Parts: sequence; C-alpha cells; structure tokens
Amino acid sequence: MVKYGRKGGFLRFLSDDDCEAIHQSAIEVLETVGMKSESHTIMDVFDKAGAEIDKDKRIIYIPEHLIMEGLQKAPKKVTLWGRTPGTEMILYGDYVHYGLGGTPCPNVLDIDTHEIRQSTKQDAANFAKLCNALPMVEFAMSIAGALDVPREVEYIHEFEVSFKNLEKPLIHPVPGVEANEIVIEMAAAIVGGHEELRKKPIFSAYCETAQPLVFVKENDNMILNAKAGIPVTLGPAAMMGATAPATLAGANVVTVSENLAAIALTQIVAPHSPVIFGAWASVMDPFTTRCLYAAPEFALGTAVLCKQMANFYKMPNFGFAGPSDSKMPDAQAGAEAMEICLMNALMGNNLLHDGGYLASGGVGSLEMCVIIDEIFGYVDRILRGIEVTPKHLAVDVIRDVGPGGNFLSHKHTLKNLGETMYLGRLFDRTSEEAWVKAGSKDMFTVANERVKKLLTEHEPAPLEKDVEAKIDKLVADSHKKLVK
Amino acid sequence: MSTQLMSDIIAAINEFDAEKVKSASVKALEANISPVEIIQQGIAAGLLEIGKKYETGELFVTHLVAAAEAAKSTISEVLEPEIRKAGSEGVGGPRVVLATVKGDIHDIGKNIVGAMLFSAGFDVVDIGKDVENDFVVSKVKELDAKILGLSALLSTTIPEMRKIIELLIEAKIRDKVKVIVGGAPVTEQYAQEIGADAYAENAAEAVAVSRKLLGMD
Repeated sequence: MVKYGRKGGFLRFLSDDDCEAIHQSAIEVLETVGMKSESHTIMDVFDKAGAEIDKDKRIIYIPEHLIMEGLQKAPKKVTLWGRTPGTEMILYGDYVHYGLGGTPCPNVLDIDTHEIRQSTKQDAANFAKLCNALPMVEFAMSIAGALDVPREVEYIHEFEVSFKNLEKPLIHPVPGVEANEIVIEMAAAIVGGHEELRKKPIFSAYCETAQPLVFVKENDNMILNAKAGIPVTLGPAAMMGATAPATLAGANVVTVSENLAAIALTQIVAPHSPVIFGAWASVMDPFTTRCLYAAPEFALGTAVLCKQMANFYKMPNFGFAGPSDSKMPDAQAGAEAMEICLMNALMGNNLLHDGGYLASGGVGSLEMCVIIDEIFGYVDRILRGIEVTPKHLAVDVIRDVGPGGNFLSHKHTLKNLGETMYLGRLFDRTSEEAWVKAGSKDMFTVANERVKKLLTEHEPAPLEKDVEAKIDKLVADSHKKLVK
Repeated sequence: MSTQLMSDIIAAINEFDAEKVKSASVKALEANISPVEIIQQGIAAGLLEIGKKYETGELFVTHLVAAAEAAKSTISEVLEPEIRKAGSEGVGGPRVVLATVKGDIHDIGKNIVGAMLFSAGFDVVDIGKDVENDFVVSKVKELDAKILGLSALLSTTIPEMRKIIELLIEAKIRDKVKVIVGGAPVTEQYAQEIGADAYAENAAEAVAVSRKLLGMD
C-alpha cells in the first residue's frame, strides 16, 4: 500500500469552469502584473527564455506559452524515495500518502515537563525517529528546529538527524544555495553518488516563493535542485487579507500564479525535472494576524483549492495532515486534526503534511504525532470505502444463520471481520470500568506514554559507518563555510 | 466650527479614507486650527476610537492598519510640513526605528507593528526590509531612536539581529536604545540569548512592550 498510497478523491467542490477561471486569472496576473524577483539569476533565466523583464522594478512578465510549456514538461508522476528500499511513494492522481511535520517549529511541547520551550537538535532527532516508528506514517518533514546550533547551519543539522533517524522519504526546506549544495552532498553520500541520487532522490526540497508574487534570493535553490533531479515541493501560503486578497479564490490566484512561475522556472533550467504542486489560500486571524492552520477556510483553501488545481494541471500535489491552532493536544487539537486530515484525504491530496503542529505551527508536539498516526488509521479506513460484491453482500451467510441466529462464529465472520475493520492502536474503546481501572488516563497522557515507549524501543536502521562519517564531516565543514 | 471640523476628521479616519482625512485636515488648517491640535483632537482621537473598536472585536487588524495609513499620510503630507514651517521639530512621541533584517524581504509583520505603534502615538521611522546592519545602526544614531524594532521570518536571517546588537555596542549606543525583536523563528529565549531588551510575539504586544520599556505605563 505504501508505494502507491490510498485512493482518495471522493469529494469535489469546484467545477471544471471554476478551475479554468482560476487558471486564466493566474495567467493574466503573470502576464500583466508579473513576478518580482529579488534574484538576478532567476531574472536572467526568464530573460533568456523570452519573458519581458522590467530590470529597474525587477519584474518578470511571464507569457502564457512559457507557463504552458512548463506545465507540459513537468512530470505528471513523481516518486519520492526513502533511504531504505520499499519506503518509496509514487505520487499522482488522487492517491493519498500520510506524513508528519512541516517546516521546523521554533518551539516544542516538552514530553517530560509538558511546557512549551525552544526546540533543539535532539527534538528534531526524536521526531524523525518517531516518524520512522509510526506505522501509518509514510514520510516526514519536521516539527522541531535545531535551534541550539548556529542558525546559519540549522537546516544542515536538521538534515543530519533526519537522515540518521528516518528511513522513509524526507521533505525539508533548505533556504540558500550554499546550504542546499551541502545537503545534496549528504544525500549523495547515502545513496552512493550523484547519479544514483538523481535516479532515487531521498529527499525533496521544500521551496517557497514570497507572497504576493515574489521570487526571493533563496529561490535560486529551485534551479539547483531541478538540475540535480531533486524534486522541488512548492508551498506558497498566501494569507487572505494580508499577502493576498481576502477571498479564497483570489488568494488561490496568487499562489497558483507563483506555482506556475516556479514550475516554468524549473522546466526552463531542467526540462522534465520533478516538481510537486502546492498552492494554498491560508487564513490570517483578523484580530491577532496569526496564520491559522485549521480554520474551516483553511480546509477549503488547502484541501480543496490546491487539489483541484493540481488535478486541473495533472500535477502531483502537497496537502495537509492535522495541524492545529490549539496549544496542547486537547479536544480542539483532535477535532482540528481530523477536520484537516479527512478533508485532505477525501479530496485525494497526494502528500498530507504538517501533522504534529500545535499553536498554528509555533509548537511541535510528539504526542500529536502519535494521535495523528491513529487519525491516519481512521482516515485510511474511510478511504478504503465499502465493497459491494456477492461476497460482501453475503446473502448465503444470512441464509445460513437465519432469523434470530447470530454471526459470531460463522466462517464468514472469522474471515472478514478483521479485514472490514481498522482495529485502532491508540484511541480508547474500552468500557468505563476498564478505563477507570487502567488509571482514568486522558488521550494526552496515553499519547505521551506511547511517544516515550516508541522512542525507547525503536531503533532505526543505522547508516553505514563510512557514510555516517562522511555526513558528520560535511556537517562539521558546513560550520566553516556558512557560520560567519 | 472647530468641533465640527475635528468630528469630520474623526469620521474620515473611521471610514479609513486617506483622501477625506487629508481634505478635512486642510479645511481645519484653513480655519486656523494649529496642526498640533488637529493631530491631537482629530487624528489621534479618531485612531483612539478605532483602537477601542479593535479591542472589543468590532474591527480587525486590517482596519487598524488602514486607519493608521490614512492618518500617517495626512500627517506626513499635510500637517508635518506646517509644523516644520512653524519651526518645530516633528509630531513628537518616542521615536522608533523599524527594520526587517538583511537577507529577509518578509516585511508584512513589521508593517503591522509600525501601524500599531504609530496609532499608539510613537514616532515610527520604518527603514524598510533587507536592510544592511550598518545602516540600521547609523539610523538609530542619526534619529536618536529610543526603540529599535527588528523583524525576520527566516531562520537563516535572524543571526543578523545578534550582529546588529553587537554593532550597537561597538558604536557605544547600546545603552541609548531599547531593542525589541520579533518574527516567526524568534523566541523569547533567542531574544535573551542575543541580548535584546525584549521579544514581542505580535504587534499588540510590541506596543505594550515598547510602552513598558520606556516606562510609559
């Protein structure tokens, strides 16, 4: 199942005409408003490709033909690989893959003190290890920044602990070309060279343009990754009313425009290089200006808009798992996590990420990670749907048992009950007496215990000794290069 | 007459209409009301109303920003030139310099902070985004800023905050200015590590923290 994902895509909100209208609006924006570029390199690429450039204002007006050529060349199916065989994920269509984490959070919920504190490299390592252990989780990003190392090399250290503790595919941001080059060296060391990495990229670089409509200098790494065959995952999240119009469709026009520009860029510099579409309308709280991660409009702005536009372009896409605006794994967090997971899965988003985020991405929680792993189990069962065949209709079985009988020990029951059900790993389904006897534990406590158990017991397959030495050297050398 | 003119300005601020605020202010000047009085009785009074409506949840931050922008453009284009003509310095209020640090162009948070501080009566000088560290320090010195607000969105750019604080020490003006830091990757702990005076989690907190640091409460 892991390889192909679970088929979703049971829900649709927009008509083909709606998608066409968003697309045409984005084309109009790119042709007449343009993308600003803080990067001369990116401006030069578009200049040579025939876009109209206003060098003083640093605006690139991208003609429709460049956008359509980009969309035509971009692969419609992308495979992400883990460092251990059998963990790869094939992304296309409405097939759903479950993942945790996003860009690293500045804080974590401490698993011992239950206090919110600044995150460390050890937290990042714990997260990667937990993701490796959790059965439903197919890929990981991050919930904890390595903020106890110099910030210039934060991302290098995060990649180090992810590569060491995670055998599954990794998606991670890596701003800046210099740091990105080092990360590519690390990945190449693991898979046995650059050509091998091109064939089986074991990470995808998460790259964000700045809203509205700006290529930043850090986006030069889109070019680097495209040329190296590293899949570029796009994820501009325009905040309605702040960095985008205060409407879902309008905000999506901004982020679809940025995606189309980025896709054009990657396909100009490296035709047919893998790109993952991610164009979200996100929500600003109008009182605090916080970027909300689980408002109902966020569900629509991510699960619906991103997926339907991705399908319109036949591109693999980046969706959401269960981020929450709550500050602890409580009822709000659970409700929000299920809202976002289920919506994304029913829409058929290919990569569900950001699970484990609390406080709108400000705080990472390992407890939420195990809770969401269980939610994935529920969601996955729902996606499996209902089979209606003679075997499943079971008229012969009903005849066998007859009126007033029971099905408890029937062969059909023994054979099918386990297959029909998702048997829960975490959520409590016992009687009230049994629950009291077991200590009357709430879900936060149960999840915390599971986190500690998995962190103690689970051992990710280690890297080869010489590979580990190479990685450690690259990390050490990065300090000399990048820390000023 | 004067009361009516002031109510017009207050009403225009409540409509977030910069052109109306400007024309009402011009009318008040023509009626020989002093620019300082126009600011205090008209514009500041209007912003105070907006602030109260924000606190009660009637208005959004977006309204606050719109009102502040209308007020600010009126002051800089219409009223400040008159004050300068009369030989006075400026509109008063403790001076704040705001910048998004070198390498970072994500400035919307800083802009909101600027609007909120301005509405709260601070003399805000926004020196922009992706600003060179030396320029930040020279502006603090030149403008004799009481507060320096630094913002960053990227983990990779926030080390600039530490460097700016080091440069303030080198320039021997560290004790003359309070440094407040903020932005997504910044934490309370980081603010302490780099020797900032305070961390502000959001724009409203930036105002509260600024008032506290300057002993205004």
